[in-house]
Amino acid sequence: MTRVPEDLESRLAAVAPGGIDYSEAADVHGTKVVWVALADKDALLPVATVLHELGARLSMTCASQPPAPEEEEAEEPAEGEEAKADEGPRASFGGTVLDGTSYELAYHFDLDGDTVTVIAHVSQGGEIDSLTPLFRTADWSEREMMELYALTVRSHPDPRRLFIDPTIDAAVFERLIPFSTLVNAASTKGLWEKILNKKGGAA
Amino acid sequence: MTDVTHTTTAETYTIPVGPLHVALEEPMYFKIDVRGETIANVDINAGHVHRGIEYLTTKRTIYQNVILTERICSLCSNSHPETFAMAAEQIAGLEVPERALYLRVIAGEIKRIASNLFNIAILAHLVGYETLFMHVMEVREVAQDIKESVFGNRMDLGAVCIGGVRYDLDDETTAYLSGALDKLVPEIDEIIATYRTNGSILGRTRGIGILKREDALACGVVGPVARASGIDYDVRMVAPYAAYDRLPMVVHTLTDGDVWSRAMIRLAEARTAIELIRACLRDLPGGPTHLHDRPDIPRGQAVAKCEAPRGELIYYLKTNDNPEPERVKWRVPTFMNWDALRYMLADQKIADIAIIVNSIDPCVSCTER
Repeated sequence: MTRVPEDLESRLAAVAPGGIDYSEAADVHGTKVVWVALADKDALLPVATVLHELGARLSMTCASQPPAPEEEEAEEPAEGEEAKADEGPRASFGGTVLDGTSYELAYHFDLDGDTVTVIAHVSQGGEIDSLTPLFRTADWSEREMMELYALTVRSHPDPRRLFIDPTIDAAVFERLIPFSTLVNAASTKGLWEKILNKKGGAA
Repeated sequence: MTDVTHTTTAETYTIPVGPLHVALEEPMYFKIDVRGETIANVDINAGHVHRGIEYLTTKRTIYQNVILTERICSLCSNSHPETFAMAAEQIAGLEVPERALYLRVIAGEIKRIASNLFNIAILAHLVGYETLFMHVMEVREVAQDIKESVFGNRMDLGAVCIGGVRYDLDDETTAYLSGALDKLVPEIDEIIATYRTNGSILGRTRGIGILKREDALACGVVGPVARASGIDYDVRMVAPYAAYDRLPMVVHTLTDGDVWSRAMIRLAEARTAIELIRACLRDLPGGPTHLHDRPDIPRGQAVAKCEAPRGELIYYLKTNDNPEPERVKWRVPTFMNWDALRYMLADQKIADIAIIVNSIDPCVSCTER
């Protein structure tokens, strides 16, 4: 009944020569949750191909920008210690620098109830392969990732904005947006001024 | 005189449906290419109620997000905080008390009855059968009364918290709930019989908006839309949560994949929901309804899913050392089901657009967040 095959780790490792970081857990009902971090983002398509062959469904994708470790930012550079400089910011499995600007992309696949999450790291402004040749369901998910971050999805068949209007600046999740701006009501005065300006003069 | 028949059938025209349209309950813009009265192609343009809630979740603490996520959508409002809480409980390794697991099922299934009946009522309205519309809404009102009486609210129940539930059932409430369910059973059975036999309903829904099984699989549709196309998938069965593994769960499937099949699945699931609640009331264990401390949720990540009224709802939660989550992401059932409209609407008549769109039980506020 378990839907994640016993040899999933080796099957995925075989198509990801850069390496994978694999972990698996099951809840009390035996439903499995698998996490697969890719050392190389270009292994995403071959790994997704294996999951596609197993009958997986691409359930969700999630992009995020993991913050840089706080303690390193607080450190003053005047110390001049080589060891410190050598450590640098924390890096992902696979070596992508986690300086607060790189992206962590999580692809959640469903295998008849079990969940396999494949994680790839991409530098800011970088590219990742589209999964649309394998999964039709990647279409909207990838469009959403592209409109929230300065991320390019290679070979996406329809890279238009999904929800956010094209007139709004790109990569909204990479900026601090004040709540008042978010709800388009910076202040009563500001809103009226905007309307009056559009009308071309005072009321 | 111009030959009207010739000019309207030989060429393709693009007509807009929405974003504000009398037949759509929520704003969505469909750009529909038609040849004569037949639909040739559909483009969907979304984003009219995008509110940036996903961004907001990272500005709220994990506990505040239980409140926020309940406000993503009204019809499946309970499913959001429940799944979010499940993800947080996984990260913190919290064990939800047994009684709370049953109470979560009760809250979720009451919402399912109300949500499914609402869609069934709207279908009657779109068919033009207004008396049936009003009747189904009146029956749904029993479910609304249950929500108002048991939880104090007609839509957002506020039932779930991290580590359990925020409500309990005493003898008096249990008796009231059982009585209300007894009232609902014959009413829903009668509605099922009407949808099975009424000529107006059958004429507008049978063989309309067909989604074949292979197309359903390609689109990754979930919930009643998937089950009406023969896909035997229900999170409550394949990845049980709360107390579903101990309850008489039945997964309903049909194979025709038309508007009617989707409606019948929703009705059958409303009926099954009553049996699930009855089983919960019968087997409800004693003990606490929630954990009494409010632990910090440590650094970690988790995926949780549940079967909302419209299908699989999935949450991804990533936490760090801050009280606010690093990232919260959720994908609602309707997000998957929009795409299937391209198949359902192909070669259908303009007059059936609203009925077919309604048959995926679309939730725009859920989709766009």
